[in-house]
Amino acid sequence: MKDFKYIWIIGLVVTALLVIVPIASFVRGESEPETDPWAFVPAAPIHTDHTDLLEGPFNSGPEVTAACLECHEDAAHQVAQTAHWTWESEPVLLPGRTEPVTTGKKTSLNNYCIGIQSNWPGCTSCHAGYGWEDANFDFSNEGNVDCLVCHDTSGLYIKSKAGLPADGVDLLAAAQSVGAPTRNNCGSCHFNGGGGDAVKHGDLDSSLLNPPDSIDVHMGQHDFVCTDCHQTEDHNIKGRSISVSTNNVNQVYCTDCHVAEMVHADERITVHLDAVACQTCHIPAGAVREATKMHWDWSTAGQDLPEDPHVYLKIKGSFVYEENFTPQYAWFNGAADRYILGDLIDPSQPTVLNQPLGSIDDPTAKIWPFKIHAANQPYDAVYNYLLQPKTVGEGGFWTDFNWDQALRLGSEVVNMAYSGSYGFAPTTMYWPLSHLVVPGEDALQCQDCHGENGRMDWEALGYYGDPMRWGGRSVTTGAADTP
Amino acid sequence: MLHTILIRAKWRAAFMGITGAVLLTALLLATPGSMALAAPVAAGWRSAQTAIDTAVQPQPLHPTFPLLDEHGENVLDSGLPVSTMNTCGACHDAPFIASHSFHSDAGLNDFTAPGTVQGGQAWDTSPGIFGNWNPITYRYLSPAGDPVLDLTTADWVKLLGARHAGGGPAVYDRSGGLLTELTPDAANVEASALDPAPARARVNGLPVPWDWAASGVVEMNCFLCHTPDPANDARTAALQAGQFQWANTATLANSGLVTQVNGEWQWQPEAFDAEGRLLPEFVTMQDPTNANCGQCHGLVHTDNDSPLVLEDSGGWSTQTTGQIISPQRIADSGLNLADKESLSRSWDIHAERVLACTDCHYSLNNPIYYQETDDSRPDHLTFDPRRIDLSEYLYRPLHQFAKGQSAQSALAPELDNTLRRCESCHSVEKSHDWLPYKERHAAAVSCESCHIPTLYAPALQMVDWTTLQADGAPRTAYRGLADSGSDLITGYQPTLLPQQNGSASSASLTPFNLITAWYWVYGDPPRPVPQRYLEAAWLNGDAYQPEVLAAFDSSGDGQLDAAELRLDDDAKTALIASRLAAQGLANPRIQGEIQPYNINHDVATESWAIRDCRACHGDTSRITTATLLAADLPGGVMPAFAQTDQVSWSGELFTGDDGQLYYRPQTRAESLYILGHDSVYWIDWAGILLFLGTFAGVITHGGLRFFAARRQAQRHARRGAHQPALRDMYMYSVYERLWHWLQTVVIFGLLFTGLIIHKPDKFGIFSFSYVVQVHNVLAVILLVNAALSAFYHLVSGEIRQFLPRPYGFFDQAIVQVKYYLGGIFRDEPHPFDKTRDRKLNPLQQITYFGILNVLLPLQVITGALMWGAQRWPDVSGALGGLPFLAPFHTLIAWLFASFIVMHVYLTTTGHTPLANIKSMIMGWEEAGAEAAGAEAVGAETPTQTQGTTLTTDHSPLATDH
Repeated sequence: MKDFKYIWIIGLVVTALLVIVPIASFVRGESEPETDPWAFVPAAPIHTDHTDLLEGPFNSGPEVTAACLECHEDAAHQVAQTAHWTWESEPVLLPGRTEPVTTGKKTSLNNYCIGIQSNWPGCTSCHAGYGWEDANFDFSNEGNVDCLVCHDTSGLYIKSKAGLPADGVDLLAAAQSVGAPTRNNCGSCHFNGGGGDAVKHGDLDSSLLNPPDSIDVHMGQHDFVCTDCHQTEDHNIKGRSISVSTNNVNQVYCTDCHVAEMVHADERITVHLDAVACQTCHIPAGAVREATKMHWDWSTAGQDLPEDPHVYLKIKGSFVYEENFTPQYAWFNGAADRYILGDLIDPSQPTVLNQPLGSIDDPTAKIWPFKIHAANQPYDAVYNYLLQPKTVGEGGFWTDFNWDQALRLGSEVVNMAYSGSYGFAPTTMYWPLSHLVVPGEDALQCQDCHGENGRMDWEALGYYGDPMRWGGRSVTTGAADTP
Repeated sequence: MLHTILIRAKWRAAFMGITGAVLLTALLLATPGSMALAAPVAAGWRSAQTAIDTAVQPQPLHPTFPLLDEHGENVLDSGLPVSTMNTCGACHDAPFIASHSFHSDAGLNDFTAPGTVQGGQAWDTSPGIFGNWNPITYRYLSPAGDPVLDLTTADWVKLLGARHAGGGPAVYDRSGGLLTELTPDAANVEASALDPAPARARVNGLPVPWDWAASGVVEMNCFLCHTPDPANDARTAALQAGQFQWANTATLANSGLVTQVNGEWQWQPEAFDAEGRLLPEFVTMQDPTNANCGQCHGLVHTDNDSPLVLEDSGGWSTQTTGQIISPQRIADSGLNLADKESLSRSWDIHAERVLACTDCHYSLNNPIYYQETDDSRPDHLTFDPRRIDLSEYLYRPLHQFAKGQSAQSALAPELDNTLRRCESCHSVEKSHDWLPYKERHAAAVSCESCHIPTLYAPALQMVDWTTLQADGAPRTAYRGLADSGSDLITGYQPTLLPQQNGSASSASLTPFNLITAWYWVYGDPPRPVPQRYLEAAWLNGDAYQPEVLAAFDSSGDGQLDAAELRLDDDAKTALIASRLAAQGLANPRIQGEIQPYNINHDVATESWAIRDCRACHGDTSRITTATLLAADLPGGVMPAFAQTDQVSWSGELFTGDDGQLYYRPQTRAESLYILGHDSVYWIDWAGILLFLGTFAGVITHGGLRFFAARRQAQRHARRGAHQPALRDMYMYSVYERLWHWLQTVVIFGLLFTGLIIHKPDKFGIFSFSYVVQVHNVLAVILLVNAALSAFYHLVSGEIRQFLPRPYGFFDQAIVQVKYYLGGIFRDEPHPFDKTRDRKLNPLQQITYFGILNVLLPLQVITGALMWGAQRWPDVSGALGGLPFLAPFHTLIAWLFASFIVMHVYLTTTGHTPLANIKSMIMGWEEAGAEAAGAEAVGAETPTQTQGTTLTTDHSPLATDH
């Protein structure tokens, strides 16, 4: 024993343990551990300067793509698998149907410019490819994938009809500037959906290019780019919208980064999470800075009335735009129904083109904020279905202002019968709001929804009355099938 | 003999050990109290219910009805004012409602002779607004018989009726008769009114007869609280015009039922059906909303979209405390508030959470809210479901509302604390996990103290009626502004005063706004000087009286600015007094009063509440922060504290170096000892002196030893003296070393953390809450370690080493003392050899005997009781409470600290300075050959040292090593 001269080390360790272990076990820290949302934000990729790698000259978009593919061999093939290229979904089985159907911009009708078929060159200027001019576009030709629209960082690359580079675009400069997609890349199409800034979504517009903290906390205060949330693997970009994608896959969730139960110190808020989407409180208003289109009446088009892009255009009809609008709220489980060409409508009732699925009895559904876009659009008064008009080009409505001719030409292209008798039927589309997330201190407060002046129509949502007083829904949430 | 004493000592040590074990067990078992009260489970009633179509409808339930006048005729026919008693009384028991409402009674039932109101001014006549004088409103309801009148009953209704719900003193006289049956009589203060000629022009204020039959009375005004948009301005105008019977009708001015045409109120037939009943869309009766209450009580803003603004004073509670009821985020309000953008909290969390005033201040027989008091409810019942039926409630809804307990109003004291207090709805136990000692905090500090950290609106600070501004208003000052008269609001922190609250046994700190008022009184018995006398003394029309101007206008600009308009010398005070006396008021003199106004609203959630321990536990504790009361003392008069049995004025009223008046609460006088803030001066100084003295003594002694050793060394070197042979001896077993060093670490830890808790401001980097918890854990380790070691020493018999042997003890002690004073410097050997069986010399024995039997138990007990102040407050309280225990604990800590200095120093007195420490680490000690030899043969023979005989004990316990 005497010779064991390091016994003091053992003693020191034992003594230290006897003191430290109880302290560590019994002393409570002052704050709860919190997960760090930043841990889930991808690191910014290291930029590789391509100036010296690409010499050109490039005479066309596909030439640039070919140059890209010399190194990034799989890139075009990867893009060609995505909706950015196909504009079409996998076949999905929608409620009430026996056969799976495909949805997507390629074939679906909306209640803005209605549909791309017969009108390709104008619509496909936002296609991530080159040369989609008509129904014969070859989707298997991956050489037509447009790399620059997402990767040009010069800001000088502009697409034109059929997705071709606009005249005068310096393809070499654009190619040499390539980098990770910026807000400008995504925004060049997504901010301008519907044909102009802020027109379509209600939560995506040019105010997100450089937003103040109060407009969007992620892109403002935290300087996010789109792909920080819409994380991308093999060119498959996460995220979707029920205007074109109806099933509930490949979603971006707030809870990918935020642990909602831990973010809200207040248990009263936490108990809302079973029934209320994050977006509902944290996106108190849509189109905060830039007015968005809320209503489009095609039936008044073609008249020589005073024109104002926010009120009336001869080619399009009359509009109602709204800025900083209060969203409308509906149950939503992430999936949606979809109007498919040929579906019968009741022209006396508004037809919902993309009914969000979910109800108060659906445990996976939550109350979501929506922009609801209403329209009057042409339908066949005999067959009672919505019609695809040809608007662009020869014989199109925007050229000749002749509805009968435009609808006939359009129907031929989509291979549907047209009776020659048309009318205008009310339709609505739901646009779930997920952007323009405000800082926590600007989120909705209790009385914004509850009490005398609340914004919720509780009975329409299926409650007997304000759940603060009448009690919440009593469905049990199933196993972890909602994030 | 020795044996007996030894056994006794063993028993004592055993008892210590057992006590320690019991204490420890108690510590470990004292888990948080059972919280088995099942939270109400969200019932699945919804699925069980059939559809309820009437869930939300604009006009629930209330049927249509005709408006009846005082004769029971339909007002459409008679054109007379509506009578609420007849109209609402057609279905509801209106007389019951009116006679069971302190909003209506306003003190009439308790009306009494001046000077007999409990806790009131000498001239108060009731605890309610009808008779309770307030220096803010100033006007005084004159009792019968006063030669100088201020307000007659009719004048009171005109002026203060705006803050009265009608009924009570607006219908009945002070003896319970009907006012309308009084004969108009200038000599009767209840049947007269002061001459309504402009007050400024007139001094005497002669009463003229008031014909109640002509003016009518103000019945209890149902519309004021039960309609969505009552026309309070029109009501007030009707009251001020003396058209009392029209006041309730005027309240309906926004309803579309009645309009005023050329000063006449006309009923609108289009609002009624063919049978003279209200059309359904005009039936807007509702439960009182926050806005209804806010008409009289203060600023209520219910709309989140329009920015909240503060007009005038904002209403009574807003003016007196700065409380504003609104769900709006403060940052979104329209106030000019410093650093507003950062205030993302709402004005009031309960308003934000969509609670209404009536959710807490509910009708006391409302069967939904009704709760039986703890006093009458049997202990085994948490809820008694038997209650009145809804229809019974609607027939006779009690208009006594659940209330708290406010220091500034003594009305309806029997209803004090009938409302649910914070803890009735909120669980401190479950929500304050971060807070050490939460029960103790909850007992000593009201929830509001932390959860209303700041009021973000200006609140009245001072009212000076001794001087008048040119417009006849008193001089006032507000707190919560950047500086006096500034437009920038900074908000203010309330003053925390001990208030007796509810059924709690002791006072708890509660936030208040203190308003100090000065005013003139005259005569005996005293009365406040009526405003018109003041005006006559100061003013002539819209200008100051020339004599006043001459005395006060030091700048000579013909006006009195804020610096000039104050009674800051005796001449000015005497001038005003003489001008009042000249009007026939006897002995005019100045009085001052400090009023506490409770602050219970504008509650903030956790993230905005005070969470920094050092806000209170530090030198500049907000609990004892001095509150500025007034910038000057009008007439040099020190104000008195308002007489209230609810608030304890144990603090210090003082005039600062800046000449301003302050109030500083004193915690020690309230049996509060705020750790980290309070300390006992002499204990700290005595402790520091003892500690430093010990230190100095040790340094001196050590220094002397050092020099002596050098001399010795030189001498040895010269003589070539031989070093005594040394042999190693196993001195301390592993367990002995372990418990010793564990105790060392823990005691150092305790001293250090204790020092931080004692003076947190000196150790800013440490979290107070964390250090407190560490201190407690260390204390438990110390206790366990002490108990285990006591057990070890007892069972092994080593305990004997710690027991001074009475026989020859003093001789031995003296020898040891002499050694430390002399021999140690001469390199003499220790008088008592340290051996395995006898490690301690007599001085050590007596020291440890004291430490282990006195200091340690006292420290453990005081510490446990301080910790136990939350578990067993009665036990702690009986033993002096924190104000005694904490300083005591501090004192002993100083003694321990001093002991440690001595203890560590004495370890250096071995064969070499580090020999003892080394042996405590390694177990083996180099010892003199002689002693070591004795150890080596395990001899039990007497050891002969320095002529002192020591006897090794022969108890059986001693043989096992």
